[in-house]
Amino acid sequence: MPEYPNGIIVSAARLSKRVDTAEGALDILSGVNLEIKTGERVAIIGVSGSGKSTLLGLLAGLDSATQGEVTLAGERLDKLDEDGRARVRAGQVGFVFQSFQLLPGLTALENVMLPLELAGITGAEREARERLARVGLSERLSHYPRQLSGGEQQRVAIARAFVMKPAILFADEPTGNLDSTTGARVIDLLFDLNQEHRTTLVLVTHDENLASRCERHIYLDAGRIVDRR
Amino acid sequence: MRGLKNFRLALRLLARDWRAGELRLLAAAMVIAVGAVTAIGFFSDRLNRAMTYQSADLLGADLRLTSPEPVPPSWRKEAAGQGLRQAETLEFASVVVQAEKLQLSSVMAVGPGYPPRGALRAAPALYAPDTKTSDIPTPGTAWVEPRVLQALSLTIGGRIEIGSAAFSVTRVLTYEPGRAGSFFTFAPRVLISLADVAATGVIQPGSRVNYSYLFAGTDADLARYKTWLTPRLGPNHRLLDVRDGNSSIGRALERAERYLGLTSLLAVILAGVAIAMGARRYSSRHFDMSAMLRCFGATQRDIVALFAPQFLLLGLAASALGCALGWIAQEAIFYLLQDLRPAGLPPAGVAPVAFGFFTGLIALAGFALPPLLRLKHVPPLRVLRRELTPLPPSAWIVYGAAAAAVLVLMWRYTGSLLLTAGVLAGSLAAAGALAALAGALLTLSRHMHRHVRVAWRFGLTNLWRHTRTSIGQILAFGLALMAMAVIALLRTDLLSTWQTQLPPDTPNHFAFNILPQDVAATQRFFATNRIQTSALYPMVRGRLTEINGKPVTQAVTKEESNNEALQRELNLSWTGSVPPDNRLVRGTWWETPSRGKRVSVEEKLTKKLGIELDDELTFSIAGEAIRARVASIRSVQWDSFHPNFYMIFPPGTLEDFPATYLTSFHLTPDQKSLLTSLVRGFPAVTVLEMDQVLAQVRVILGQVTAAVELVLLFVLAAGFAVLFAALAASLDERFHEGALLRVLGASRRQLRAAHFAEFAVLGVLAGFLAAIGTELIAYLLYTRAFELEYSFKWPVWLAAPLTGGVLIGLAGYFGTRRVVIQSPLTMLREL
Repeated sequence: MPEYPNGIIVSAARLSKRVDTAEGALDILSGVNLEIKTGERVAIIGVSGSGKSTLLGLLAGLDSATQGEVTLAGERLDKLDEDGRARVRAGQVGFVFQSFQLLPGLTALENVMLPLELAGITGAEREARERLARVGLSERLSHYPRQLSGGEQQRVAIARAFVMKPAILFADEPTGNLDSTTGARVIDLLFDLNQEHRTTLVLVTHDENLASRCERHIYLDAGRIVDRR
Repeated sequence: MRGLKNFRLALRLLARDWRAGELRLLAAAMVIAVGAVTAIGFFSDRLNRAMTYQSADLLGADLRLTSPEPVPPSWRKEAAGQGLRQAETLEFASVVVQAEKLQLSSVMAVGPGYPPRGALRAAPALYAPDTKTSDIPTPGTAWVEPRVLQALSLTIGGRIEIGSAAFSVTRVLTYEPGRAGSFFTFAPRVLISLADVAATGVIQPGSRVNYSYLFAGTDADLARYKTWLTPRLGPNHRLLDVRDGNSSIGRALERAERYLGLTSLLAVILAGVAIAMGARRYSSRHFDMSAMLRCFGATQRDIVALFAPQFLLLGLAASALGCALGWIAQEAIFYLLQDLRPAGLPPAGVAPVAFGFFTGLIALAGFALPPLLRLKHVPPLRVLRRELTPLPPSAWIVYGAAAAAVLVLMWRYTGSLLLTAGVLAGSLAAAGALAALAGALLTLSRHMHRHVRVAWRFGLTNLWRHTRTSIGQILAFGLALMAMAVIALLRTDLLSTWQTQLPPDTPNHFAFNILPQDVAATQRFFATNRIQTSALYPMVRGRLTEINGKPVTQAVTKEESNNEALQRELNLSWTGSVPPDNRLVRGTWWETPSRGKRVSVEEKLTKKLGIELDDELTFSIAGEAIRARVASIRSVQWDSFHPNFYMIFPPGTLEDFPATYLTSFHLTPDQKSLLTSLVRGFPAVTVLEMDQVLAQVRVILGQVTAAVELVLLFVLAAGFAVLFAALAASLDERFHEGALLRVLGASRRQLRAAHFAEFAVLGVLAGFLAAIGTELIAYLLYTRAFELEYSFKWPVWLAAPLTGGVLIGLAGYFGTRRVVIQSPLTMLREL
């Protein structure tokens, strides 16, 4: 795993995001500063509309900020265009989403193989099979997402996120679409894998319980950081 | 290396998409586009070759070169070098002598290999049944037309003299390829061997003779030779191919080709629209994948590198399948047409396959590329906020790409960039106007929805809630209905034109040299034997010598100074009324009194010789000069098999000159024996049999008719592809809304009624637009491209909205059936 200055894998300085709406300009994020070190598990917590998903999108380079700096894996994202940010993401960043984001036309196995194939890595199928076995889905390889339960779909998404052995994993409300029992199982799996791979984890949630499993908490309200613990 | 890996991944993704059914619509649209183009291509290629082959029978060659003197030997050598078969003939007028009797005849000496196409027909005795023969007269023998036998009171085996050579008459010549065109002008034919010409001693320096060189071969060889020969031709040379040979066939072939071309172009445009819709749906269903791939680190270039090969491979595979389908379809058509098709039909060439692929890929590039390129603009943030969709590509790109594709394809058919660009610009302007109109109609439907029941209200509301989508769908449905209507209308009118062109009682014999004192008796003969005849026209031979006081050879251009009308005596006639096959183009007929003499001239001749209304023409008739002013210009339907004339005078002008009469008549096969009675009763009368020629023309028109009937099917298939694609394109959204409505308590009946209402109204509006478009396009096509008479197409105004409403309403009703059959939960889970 590469070393970063002061061990900081992702940082933001004076980060703001403003959008134009019919009622005028709206600040979704204002002057956010934060630093996350390699291997840390950080929860970004806030109510709906507090700007936490926007912050995750900016930190992961999925969107560009109106103002401020973002550094991910040693690269200044705010200096890069979308393709440049994509290159930073490639192979270093993993994602787990609330709505799973599996591709409906691909089987579970193919969904997990896709990032490996995209990176041109050989032995994608073997690797993907192993990952799916690790999340307990050996029997579901050729199932399409619509044939899987919500929990199973999220396990496929977790297998897909870890298959590239990313340095950092962004998870957006990973249990938001699941019942509490299934959600708890999925979270156990996510944290176990995170432990195994010593991946940095940035978890966005409104669930204090879930957040409590992370070492550091950043509280957002109306686009500003209001508390850090 | 990376490119190769991307390609492999693209292949795998393509296979996965195929398995998941994501590509079916796009592939089906492409297969139909390519299938239609290829089938029509194969079909017209083979049919054209077959028809050309048959037409060549009439001309005796694929290509005929005539010249008043022998052509340089190198010309014949070049033809041989190009692989063409050839034969030489020599034609001259000469008096044929038998005992004391003389008959001015048109002698044709033919060389080995004559005729390279078609065959002579000959009979062993006068009016005995004739048969096809590949023989030609052997040296020392002559074959003669019945007229010669009659005029010289000869029988088979008798001897005639031409110049200083004697010939034994061995057969009666009944049909000679290439003679159908201008038979009136010829004296009766005597056929001898080319080897005997020298012995006759008739050809001396300065003699008026006509050398013909007949060529036959493959299209490519002929085209090459024609290209080589054309710049070398002098003003005295004339090059004729099958299209020039017979105007009724030439015109039918030309119209059929235009129709086939237009049909296949419309099929491509329709299928193109289906491809665009299929690609759009494919693209929008791959936004998530694209966003996901961006999350994994794919650049925009990677996205294009992943999807473009998929489209290309799909295009190639669908084109291959389309070509195969096209080939099978045309084989099936030819199988169905086996009674009609000529023997020895040439097999299909490979050109249609190449063009099928070309069309498939051009259509894919033009219609599918813009939606494909949209995929690279999917923001990666879509993984978090699903409502984020890439901006739709600029209208310039979408329509520009489609217009460029259509332009390329149309150009191939029309061969004229200017015409193509004009038509295309007109179509785009029309599409814009129709889109505006569709918008206006939708607004109108908004006012209507208050007065209808809830289910219908929901359906109608849906229409104007998605105004842009609805306008797009109305245009697509409208285009499909319009194309179907235009092609069906054209088909009907072309067929009826061809049927009326040669009705069953078309005259198939001509009688001329009817002496004035025999006119009444001849008419009685026809009436007694119930033979239908054309009117009887008097005929005086005369030569056009001056135009406005200038000798004609100086008055006309150098090229036209060799025009047949100037080189030989013309048949001049007079009549009080405009003959039935003639139409007055300019000037007036004889109603108004005039002090001087007047003449009515045929339109094409006036153009060739530069004759205008009121010009003064001088004719030399029996050594006397007659001056007449051009009072009118007529168009003449030369292929009607009725007597027709270049020059017609008013009664009271030519009566003092010696005249004979001419008519044409129809004989059924049973009446054929009456010919003997006719020529015996009126020995001066000569009869020309045209039934063989007419039969040949009928076979060709029959084939063209069948072709036109069948290609309609392809346009219908492409039209249905558009309907299906337009429907499928909006199904996802409708499934989603339908499932939600059911959750909210809508009954199945209400949903069904809402869907039917929505699509039926779409269909009616599309049908209304289609009627406007059909009227416009049909007017342009009829008057500009097909030279057909145009009349207001009122049935379309009823049929198109009605068909649209029912067809699209039902298609929508059945297409969205899944929403009401499956449980709402299953539907929502799948979306």
